[in-house]
Amino acid sequence: MADALLQLRRLVDAVHPLSAEDWEVLSGIWTPFSAGRKEVLTTEGTMERYLYFVMEGVQRVYYFDDQDREATLVFTYAPSFGGVLDALLLQQPSRYFYETLTPSSFLRASYVELDRLMQARPGIAHMVRKGLTHALSGVLERLAELQCYTAEEKFNKVLQRSPHIFRLIPHKYIANYLGMDATNFSKLINKQRI
Amino acid sequence: MKAVDKDRLLDDLGKLVDDHIQSAVAVFQNMHSELLVKPAVNGGWSIAQCLEHLNRYGNYYIPLIRQGLARQKELTTGGTFKSGVIGAYFTRMMDPDKGKKKMRAFKEYIPGVELDGHAVVAEFIRQQEMLLTCIGWARRADLKGTRIPVSIMKWLKLRLGDVLQFVVMHDERHIRQAKRNCPMD
Repeated sequence: MADALLQLRRLVDAVHPLSAEDWEVLSGIWTPFSAGRKEVLTTEGTMERYLYFVMEGVQRVYYFDDQDREATLVFTYAPSFGGVLDALLLQQPSRYFYETLTPSSFLRASYVELDRLMQARPGIAHMVRKGLTHALSGVLERLAELQCYTAEEKFNKVLQRSPHIFRLIPHKYIANYLGMDATNFSKLINKQRI
Repeated sequence: MKAVDKDRLLDDLGKLVDDHIQSAVAVFQNMHSELLVKPAVNGGWSIAQCLEHLNRYGNYYIPLIRQGLARQKELTTGGTFKSGVIGAYFTRMMDPDKGKKKMRAFKEYIPGVELDGHAVVAEFIRQQEMLLTCIGWARRADLKGTRIPVSIMKWLKLRLGDVLQFVVMHDERHIRQAKRNCPMD
């Protein structure tokens, strides 16, 4: 737990350094949690009760509808925050699923406690706002890539940004994230040495 | 047959399936498709043929395991499982550490050489993820409560717990064979 909190502290400080007092209260709301491969942590239509801090493993947030259409929106892995963030902060039923793709371990904090700290401590609220803004930046960057890049450019971008996930999760999830079919993805794998 | 702790048995099977997924994800899916279909040095099956062989059995057994679990209305947690005599024999025969004898596959389960290597690996991973989910559901099921017909002798029906064991052991046997085809680098 101490090591996990140290990693969390590093991430928090990289987003927005907290005062010793703010860190002390923030570090008190997390509990360890682990899950096996392919476990659904948040189901569409239910509330997102936790903010996760990923210690180990890869997870994804994905959309899945009654016509079997599926869209992998985001991968999360250590050290980063996880969960369906919009559902969490808006406290609305989630439109997406959050599932583990490999055995995973986390720290997690309940929304109730996080919200209490955000209301009471401007430093913590500011850190959360900055963290979310970085997340929004990532989403906008990805939208631009999805609309403009060729399949090969999108593939190379993921390979450059997150080379490790090619050996950690089934390729079908990466192909789905990039909106590519399996055959084209396979051709690109043949061109690379991963 | 000796009764074994059900959760312990399912833990062991789950770990093996997890290892099989891990091998496919970390190694097989990242290989060039030409390597996946390259025959073994001794002329034996390629990696893709080993996995296709498993996929054909998976196509048969995994939906039946799933249906068998879905049909069980009363949930039972914990307890023990005792293999049947024939079920235990099948598992032993498949276990690569116990059944060393080379076996000849049945005709409809012998894959051809013309395969789309990456598609075969992707299907293998899909099936193994489903099998892992079934093992999770099995924790609340009676492993003796459902019987599943054997693919090559449909008149012979085995306990769900035995089918899970020999399917996973059969996977283990051919994953080891597939790994022997991987270049050492």
